[in-house]
Amino acid sequence: MPARLRQKSPLAFLQPYLLIAPTLILVLMFNVVPAFRTVNDSLYKPARGLNAAGKPPDYVGVENFRDLFDDSHYMGGRFLRAFRNTIIFALATVCIGVPLGLLLALLLNRRQPLLGLWRFAVFYPSLLPLIGAASIWSFIFSDSIGLANAVLKTFGHPGLNWLGDRNLVLLSIIIVNIWKQAGYFMIFFLAGLQNIPRNIYESSSLDGAGPLEQFAYLTLPLLRRTVLFVVVISFTFAFQTVEQLQALGEGGPADSANLLLYLIFQNISERRNWGYVNAMTIVLIGVVLIFTLSNFLLFERDETNR
Amino acid sequence: MIDKNVLRQRFAEALKAALAIIFLLPLFFTILVSFRPEAEPVTNGNIFFGSEITLDNYERALVIAPWSLHYINSFIFVAGTLLVQLITVTIAAYAFARMNFIGRDILLLIILLQLMIPSGVLLVQNFRTINMLGLFDTRTALMIPYWGSAFGLLLLRQTFREVPIELEEAARIDGANLFQVIRHVYVTNSIPAYLAFALVSVSSHWNEFLWPFIITRSEEIRPLTVGLNKLIKTTDQGAFYGQLMAGTLIVIAPLVILFLLFQRQFVESFARSGIR
Repeated sequence: MPARLRQKSPLAFLQPYLLIAPTLILVLMFNVVPAFRTVNDSLYKPARGLNAAGKPPDYVGVENFRDLFDDSHYMGGRFLRAFRNTIIFALATVCIGVPLGLLLALLLNRRQPLLGLWRFAVFYPSLLPLIGAASIWSFIFSDSIGLANAVLKTFGHPGLNWLGDRNLVLLSIIIVNIWKQAGYFMIFFLAGLQNIPRNIYESSSLDGAGPLEQFAYLTLPLLRRTVLFVVVISFTFAFQTVEQLQALGEGGPADSANLLLYLIFQNISERRNWGYVNAMTIVLIGVVLIFTLSNFLLFERDETNR
Repeated sequence: MIDKNVLRQRFAEALKAALAIIFLLPLFFTILVSFRPEAEPVTNGNIFFGSEITLDNYERALVIAPWSLHYINSFIFVAGTLLVQLITVTIAAYAFARMNFIGRDILLLIILLQLMIPSGVLLVQNFRTINMLGLFDTRTALMIPYWGSAFGLLLLRQTFREVPIELEEAARIDGANLFQVIRHVYVTNSIPAYLAFALVSVSSHWNEFLWPFIITRSEEIRPLTVGLNKLIKTTDQGAFYGQLMAGTLIVIAPLVILFLLFQRQFVESFARSGIR
């Protein structure tokens, strides 16, 4: 009753808006408005307002985008390579990292001695700063004194140029990423497994189902949502990866292992390329948007159905 | 039949041990190399220990960057971000959870855009905004894009909705004003959600590299990750890996120790940051 009375005064009308104002203004300032400005600036060359000489920027329409998707253009070649690499990087992480995360969760789901220690062993990489993880692996992959080659040499192999061979750098970065993410994926699978009622398994083993059948016909279908979620976040992470490259080859020889956001970062101080930087950002946002949006729709719908 | 089960159990144990060892190897060798003399790389025959255990690498790593300063900077960055987040997120979550107002759904949708367009990918434009505000190379510039958090808002809105409305009504009858209601009814009943949010926020900003690297110049305010980058770049020329590993351990130690102490909370918070 008193609440209803209060709502009639103008202050009470404004109250909710005042409460959400800080969050709303910050999101508009650092997410929404810059996104629209990126769209606008991607149509200019170089981007609007950045000309020290006072020369107005040229409106070029979608020319920046056309250049990006032109393999013979100096920026297009780099962009297409980085784009392709990012997709390979994401796919490899999903195909190896996600099953590995699930395997770890299955192994570490039950109560067992030293559980904390086991979980630490596989989860600690995801807590490290990416730049720290990359730094560790820069030693492992280093050409002459690295651990990876030391191991290869004990097996009589001459050793590989992990960060210098253009066919290998991307693989090296993928290995680091899987090592870094698998434990993080495990967390979601552990949470998913805990939501599966125990008695389902009991009744199915009474029916004679072995562990493999139980996994294929019970666990996996019940974890469908979690699997989907993990796949989506690993894709969006892949498109935002930068730090690994900073310590591991900086995009590799001739961009052989460059990723999209790192290419953007490399060009952030190249004023003449800002039109391209904005256009690349649009592509990047587009991809991230598609993944997070599908995630959101999938799970929101599931929430409302329950 | 029993034999088969035992066998399966053994196999699972062996697999688990093998995976754990593979995951731990990088950390293990990082520690080893940091205590080996620089001139004795692991490829020189002896893979585990060098001719002596030395602290030289740590001494040299400590000289390259002002680590204690970077520690303080990282702490200020993380704490300053979290403190403001807690306030903005709490009041907005209350409004979205319990108030009716015109445009509520559309405004929520706008805020949720943050989850779909993370500020981290808008480097160029946000760099410009910070410059226009005259905030370049300040602590505020580091924190300000994170002061509004759609993730925190969603998490707390959900939690607040589960608080029985009768508690609020009772508090109102007792004469509590809006802020007292939020503080004593909603905040006190949502502590686990706050803890989850705090752990996720702290660990992600403690590890943040790109934004601090771009938006600051002065050593005096740069966080640990940027200091480590400097060490990596110094090492590039001479391949002083002992020194680099020592520096890396200096940087990663606190979070690893924190995790060892609060493992359960970390695992639960990270799980919450995803699905529900």
